[in-house]
Amino acid sequence: MARAIRSNTRFDLIILGTCIVLAFAARALPETMREPMATGMRRSFLAPLVMLQESAERGRQSLLQAEPKQAHLDSLSLGAMKAVSLESENDRLRKLIGLGSRLRWGFVPAEALHGRGVRDETTVILSAGSRAGVTRLSPVIAPEGLVGVVDQVDPTMSHAMLWTNPDFRVSAMTPDGTAFGIAQAHLTGATGGYLIELRGVPFRSTLKPGAVVVSSGWGGVWPRGIPIGTVLEEIKTSEGWARTYLLRPAVNPADVYSVMILRRDRLAKGFDGIWESTAQVDQAAQRIVVSGDSAAKAAALAEAAARRAVIDSIAKANGTPLLGVTPPPTPALDTSPEAVAARAAARRAAAARRAAADSAARQNQANPTQADTARPVIPADTTRRPPGAIR
Amino acid sequence: MNLGGAIRAIISFLIFVVLHYTLRPLLGWRAPMDFLVLALLLASVRVRPATAAVIGFVLGLISDSLVPGALGAGAIAMTVVGFGASYLKAVFFADNLVLNAFFFFLGKWVFDILYFVGEQRVKGVELLQQLLLWSPLSAAVTAAVGVLLLFLMRPLLEPAPA
Repeated sequence: MARAIRSNTRFDLIILGTCIVLAFAARALPETMREPMATGMRRSFLAPLVMLQESAERGRQSLLQAEPKQAHLDSLSLGAMKAVSLESENDRLRKLIGLGSRLRWGFVPAEALHGRGVRDETTVILSAGSRAGVTRLSPVIAPEGLVGVVDQVDPTMSHAMLWTNPDFRVSAMTPDGTAFGIAQAHLTGATGGYLIELRGVPFRSTLKPGAVVVSSGWGGVWPRGIPIGTVLEEIKTSEGWARTYLLRPAVNPADVYSVMILRRDRLAKGFDGIWESTAQVDQAAQRIVVSGDSAAKAAALAEAAARRAVIDSIAKANGTPLLGVTPPPTPALDTSPEAVAARAAARRAAAARRAAADSAARQNQANPTQADTARPVIPADTTRRPPGAIR
Repeated sequence: MNLGGAIRAIISFLIFVVLHYTLRPLLGWRAPMDFLVLALLLASVRVRPATAAVIGFVLGLISDSLVPGALGAGAIAMTVVGFGASYLKAVFFADNLVLNAFFFFLGKWVFDILYFVGEQRVKGVELLQQLLLWSPLSAAVTAAVGVLLLFLMRPLLEPAPA
């Protein structure tokens, strides 16, 4: 019994020693052998464990990054929410800049501060006052058209009556001057928005839906040509002697935050061509794009021609054939009588063609119109040259 | 150990190994628990010292192959720990949780000492800090988790009679 136990203990110690020796051997392996061995184990029977560990690591990374990712997502969402309003504001500011560049002078840019109380939808506070040149009854405009008129002026700010105000009136007409009327606000309902009424249009003048209506310039407050709105439909009123039309306003005052106040001295100079139609703007943009393409094409052609000229001059200087020109093989000179006669005939024909060309050129000088339409005659080059000569 | 007991022991062993490569990296603690040491200790108390040494050697090679440059260090440590645990099983593996916890703690700490000394990557003060601060902490966590798992997996982990 005791011997068996001693034998077992010896066996255990031998195995232990073997394992430790093997472990030390593995530890003592050079790097060039250790790494391939470990890699081999990782790629074979340890692959599932490696995969599990990688998944766990990824899970931990996801957990750690969840909060920053959520914060980032929130920031992005907030940015996306702001982007829409920023885009519209950017668009409005671009239009305003465009209007300013067309007006050139005589306007005061201002911020429109909307109130949120009763009747505040018909008035607005402007961030420019008399110090900036604003006076009472100065027109207030936006890139789209008419906004209102200044009714009170302080040194640093002013108060404007919007076209939605019941007291607001403006003399209006069609751009071709065939119909005139007075435009004023039209409340579509107790909870509805505002439209514009064009009243007092002569009965003989009919306006089609979509027709543009602009200020007529009569009355001395509004200059001529500022867009007011487009015709929606004719409405029936008790006035039998005139027509009344409903207009879709060019400017929604609730959406106006940046405006321009026209100075009185600018009004007398006119506003021709200030408000162009969208189609004209698009056409202008398209023209710019097309002209840009043409200019680029012309520049590319000029560059190619210049490059070709340089290469040709180098080729001439070196006595080599021009680029893209393969010199024709020069046949051996035939001295038979038939060949001599043929060459003489060819020379005579060439001389005749040259004479004809000279006479045609003289005629063209005498008659330029004909010269423009006549096909130029290119004299044939029959001069014999040695092989390899440059023409 | 009968066949059923062997199968249950193997299943427990595999569960610990899988936990080592899933739960441990997921938690990512500075002083992590070592499920491989737990698996080795629980296997060692059921087999002869020679077998425990072989199991430790294989487990050590497995853990070393996933740590570049440390091949062999874990094998040495696990071999010694497995052999020692199997040799001392009659002393430690009584039905006492505190003793079992100390068994796990000691096994993990001895493993860390052998491993870090054999690995020779950490030296000087850093080695002392590792062996006297982080290794005991890791051993304590391992012991706590081992006792918890021992309690939860009691039906599977009934040790064979000595």
